[in-house]
Amino acid sequence: MWKRTPLALLNLIHDRRKFLTSVGGVAFAVLLMFLFSGFKNALYDSQLQLLERLNGEIIMINRLKTNMFVPRAFARRRLYQVRSFEGVEAAYPLYINDANWRNPETQQTRPVRVLAFNLADPILRIPEVSHYLADLQLPETALIDTNSRPEVGPTIAGIESELSERRLKIIGTFTMGTDFASGNGNLIMSDQNFLRYFADRGPEEDPRSFATADLGLIQVTPGFPVDRLVETLQAALPNDVLVLPRDGPEGFVIRERRYWEENTNIGFVFTLLTSMSFFVGIILVYQILYTDVADHWAEYATLKAMGYSNLFLLGVVLQEALILSILGFIPGFAVGGLLYTVTGNVTGLLFQMTWGRILNLLGLTFVMCLVSGAIAVRKVQATDPAEVFGG
Amino acid sequence: MENNVGMITPSGGATTLAPAQDQSLQPPNPDLAVQIQHLDYFFGSGDLRKQALFDINLALPRGQIVIMTGPSGSGKTTLVSLIGALRTVRQGSLRVLGQELVGLGERDLVTVRRNIGFIFQGHNLFESLTARQNVEMSVELTGQFNTKRAQAEAMLGKLGLADRVGYKPNALSGGQKQRVAIARALVNHPQLVLADEPTAALDKQSGRDVVTLLQTLAREEGCTVLMVTHDNRILDVADRIINLVDGRLASDTSPDGYLQANAAVTC
Ligand SMILES: Nc1ncnc2c1ncn2[C@@H]1O[C@H](COP(=O)(O)OP(=O)(O)O)[C@@H](O)[C@H]1O
Ligand SMILES: [Mg+2]
Repeated sequence: MWKRTPLALLNLIHDRRKFLTSVGGVAFAVLLMFLFSGFKNALYDSQLQLLERLNGEIIMINRLKTNMFVPRAFARRRLYQVRSFEGVEAAYPLYINDANWRNPETQQTRPVRVLAFNLADPILRIPEVSHYLADLQLPETALIDTNSRPEVGPTIAGIESELSERRLKIIGTFTMGTDFASGNGNLIMSDQNFLRYFADRGPEEDPRSFATADLGLIQVTPGFPVDRLVETLQAALPNDVLVLPRDGPEGFVIRERRYWEENTNIGFVFTLLTSMSFFVGIILVYQILYTDVADHWAEYATLKAMGYSNLFLLGVVLQEALILSILGFIPGFAVGGLLYTVTGNVTGLLFQMTWGRILNLLGLTFVMCLVSGAIAVRKVQATDPAEVFGG
Repeated sequence: MENNVGMITPSGGATTLAPAQDQSLQPPNPDLAVQIQHLDYFFGSGDLRKQALFDINLALPRGQIVIMTGPSGSGKTTLVSLIGALRTVRQGSLRVLGQELVGLGERDLVTVRRNIGFIFQGHNLFESLTARQNVEMSVELTGQFNTKRAQAEAMLGKLGLADRVGYKPNALSGGQKQRVAIARALVNHPQLVLADEPTAALDKQSGRDVVTLLQTLAREEGCTVLMVTHDNRILDVADRIINLVDGRLASDTSPDGYLQANAAVTC
């Protein structure tokens, strides 16, 4: 097999300029697929950035909070009730509220999301937070998310501006990212500071207190079965709260993702765009392969006259398809990865290039080229070796 | 009546005619490279059916160099492509190198083709391959991957292209390209070589050179050659000249006889 003349490869690269255009075309289709599927994934993945950092195996929420966008809190005493159950190591409240942050450079106010908790509770798996525990005790201090959108202004320690028209000093930063419910960015502060800003915000806004919490985090005793504990807690607690495992197919994280998948057109629109790139790719590669067959029609027919079978010629065209898909994938992937970083920085969305997604798109690229190859091959099979005689 | 039958079963139509011809077939003769008896050939089917060859009877002994001439459209290419197992045949008998081709399917025809060397009017070389690689494509059919390079270079050497083995067709003259095509046809030492106007695209001198080389090699290998040509200047390489007119064999003579006969006509 290796000793055969690599006809497919040599035919492809014979005309350098045509070859580069072909590879460029495939790369472009691959790049479009990377971008569109990347946007889709980024929009979903971004919704889960906070959820995946919650430091507890079980989550408690108000039953009406169908997604993170719904500002429904639950009675905090439910969390205290839970603490007496076997298997519950600890139970912590997390307070969440939206507030207007004044961009210190433009003086314009933008909604951001405030996350607050008792600084003694290890609520979030965000390593930076632990460095600032002492400073966060001070009144009117907070950490700002460096992945906030540009509208919030500079995200560096030392910034002083206003939150809900009250002075706030940024004493440090952390890195997370925005989602649909986070407005333009995230702030982290102590629960004491939370009360300072949200206990009394005037007649239009609901006052916040420690009587209600937005998320409850329950840490499970190591080794204790999480699912069983979830069932026990849900059965024991009144129906106003919902108890969910954080992970797993029925978990809190997946539930959030599923909500956005089922209730928005994001998936549909971007899947449509991805498929369109896929079909554009098929047409493109088909054009390339068809032209090759048409240009070398007499040569292929001569091969048939010499005694090569249809199967061999089929192999040549499919090899060309495969070579194109691999050579086109590499630059498409490289530029795609670059654009993921750039787009991620600009939009604050989470663009993740995972192995699964890379392999998935590589597979799609193979299929793209093989389908075009399969269509183009019919042209080769139709070549009649008798027709080359006489010219 | 004939038309009706033809329309209902285009392919089988002539089978019903076969008994009407009532001509008995000679037994296979192992000394013949090509043995054709009562061969008819039709293009198309139904109303468009058109007969291209009429009751061809022809025997080519092994080792003979035969030139076929005839006016354009007389069926020369058709006959050569039938002998070359490039079309399926249904009427009469067509034995090539001992194998009956009538009734063979595509798969068996492919196998027969491997024992035949084809030379076309166009050289049909892959521009992307060097002269050597083009010839090696032929050797690869035999599975001799380890010696393909040596075989290809030896054959190109015999055709005077030893210093051109690494050139791509673009860098070769028309005559050189046709010589590469001949090397490709001969490298597997076929017992039968079929050539359809191999000099048509060449100038006088290179045409002459190519045919002389072909003749020399054929003699060396002892293979049978059937060559279609319009070129009167190369008739002398042949042992025998056959003339096809309107799908029928019109004459079958030695070169001298052919020239005399033609001279008589022109005078
Ligand atoms: N593929 C074809 N389909 C239909 N008719 C054909 C085809 N090829 C050749 N013919 C017809 O068969 C006759 C013989 O053609 P051909 O064998 O090419 O002649 P030659 O090679 O002697 O010039 C011509 O009348 C031609 O029109
Ligand atoms: Mg012809």
